Amino acid sequence: MEGLPLRSNIHCNRRGEAAAVALHGKREMPMKHGRRTWGIAVLLILALGLAAVAQEEVQTESMTFTQPALITSIGQSAGAAQARVVALKAGLEATYMQRATLEDLEGSSTLIVVLGASSKGLGAAGVDIDGEITWATELFDKARELEIRIIAMHIEGGSRRGPSSDLTITTFAPLADYLIVKGSMPDTEWTADEAANGNADGLFTTIAGENEIPIAYIEATLGAVDVLIELFDIQPEG
Amino acid sequence: MTQRLRSASARIGAGFLILFSVCMAVFAVGPTSHDVRPGYGVDDVCWLSDYLPALKGTPGDTPIYVLRGGNPGGTLLLLGGTHANEIAGVMAATLFAERAVVTRGTVLVIPHANNSAARRNNGVFNATTPQWFELTRGSGEVRTFHYGDRRTQPEDQEPDSEVFVHEWSGLEFAGDEARNLNRNHPGDADGTLTAQISYALFALVEQESVDVLIDMHESSLTGRLANTLVSHPRAVDIAAFAILDLEMEGLHLKQEVSSDEFYGLSHREFGDRTDALPFLIESANPGQEASIENPDVVNDPRSPLSDRVYLQLRTIEAILTNHALLEGAATSIEIAFPFELSDLLGANLGVFLR
Repeated sequence: MEGLPLRSNIHCNRRGEAAAVALHGKREMPMKHGRRTWGIAVLLILALGLAAVAQEEVQTESMTFTQPALITSIGQSAGAAQARVVALKAGLEATYMQRATLEDLEGSSTLIVVLGASSKGLGAAGVDIDGEITWATELFDKARELEIRIIAMHIEGGSRRGPSSDLTITTFAPLADYLIVKGSMPDTEWTADEAANGNADGLFTTIAGENEIPIAYIEATLGAVDVLIELFDIQPEG
Repeated sequence: MTQRLRSASARIGAGFLILFSVCMAVFAVGPTSHDVRPGYGVDDVCWLSDYLPALKGTPGDTPIYVLRGGNPGGTLLLLGGTHANEIAGVMAATLFAERAVVTRGTVLVIPHANNSAARRNNGVFNATTPQWFELTRGSGEVRTFHYGDRRTQPEDQEPDSEVFVHEWSGLEFAGDEARNLNRNHPGDADGTLTAQISYALFALVEQESVDVLIDMHESSLTGRLANTLVSHPRAVDIAAFAILDLEMEGLHLKQEVSSDEFYGLSHREFGDRTDALPFLIESANPGQEASIENPDVVNDPRSPLSDRVYLQLRTIEAILTNHALLEGAATSIEIAFPFELSDLLGANLGVFLR
């Protein structure tokens, strides 16, 4: 699997530019602390090299996610089932619960939520979108209480956008520690099927920028495999 | 007086003849025939009435093409024409019967699942859609195919009520949905013609121990379901794997799962009531777009028929590949075509037919 080490991503993040290119995946780390932090970091490196290294390690640590993960859907679309396949292919130790309970969080170190609403899925779960938002809010609160970090994914493209899906996105993407979106990077031509572009309007880019959340852009759902391998530092077997 | 009597007799006789002809026209309508030319892969041709004798001689009876592989495996039931106006499914099934070879397991192909619906197009969604469409073979021969209807012909079963109640779930639909095969599952042996067709399909699935069922449909170009793979919850993993495989080839399908609130559909009912893993594929047919006058259901560059047939067949392949991976070799089904499926893209579908 290709892809630059996480530390390189952090380095690029400080420039506020795309950081790494993985198989079918393009990453961007928005400026977490902006140019001022970059300047401060340079000064620190010049004045206190060791302190600068420590700063780097802190940031690196902040981007590391640990196993096992719990995968669930917010909006009850079939995207969570695809995320399960992605996790499986990445070799990630993960449990998949289409609609996880608060108890399911126990024992998990990372929560992976797949955003996107399906009227069929919500119907199957016996809830409407408002009930889903209430449940997911409780899930996020509990995850925070248990110090579980959260990755939010949107991997079903433009066809999983619309009022209800966007409500799940605008409510929960800003609360995540990391975003993975199948969609176009800013100022980059989208070469895949337009219907597969979940970020044609730049919503995720805006959310990531405003909330200083690292974001990975992928062109195909399986591009998330490499992202997870890197985020969880999964070593190949054998 | 005698002449008046003769005249009256003649009128009565003529009236009787007309009445007799009308009655015969109604009652003599057996299953509609279609231009399907089974290939070397077909070992047997059965009839749906083999699974419900009451269907024999009715417009609901339809041929079943049986393709057996040389190696033991599972059984696939492939349905085209559940909605006979959704012609990519009909033609994918037809192409399958004409050109496919099964190397493992057994495939049962029904190109016209609702054969009554296939008889005539009543213009549901778009009154300017054709009654027929033509495909030209490489030899120059023109083959003609029915562009059918979404529902069983009204004259083939009792008049629609205002409301159709799906007796198994109590769900209520518009009255004409009593003639929609994909609202009638699991059917009724003593019910309407549509319910009998459904019942026979269930009997087939049970008796032949079908492992995988794929029901091929089409939506409008802009419809929510255009280019979608729907599965029963038991098959959601296979569908997810298949979709991700297809995406890597540039084929983007949405994924949906059967609703717990909507009954009578194939993927819901076969999944709930049989051991088969059911899927439903939706390609995008310009003929179902109400706003397009005289739609070109074969060559519209936005979604040509050959591309839609490719989407159906390639999705079937992906489902079978991942079914084998996840369910094991014992029930795996392997198929082959004497050409690359991708050759269908942008091509004249007719040259691939027999």
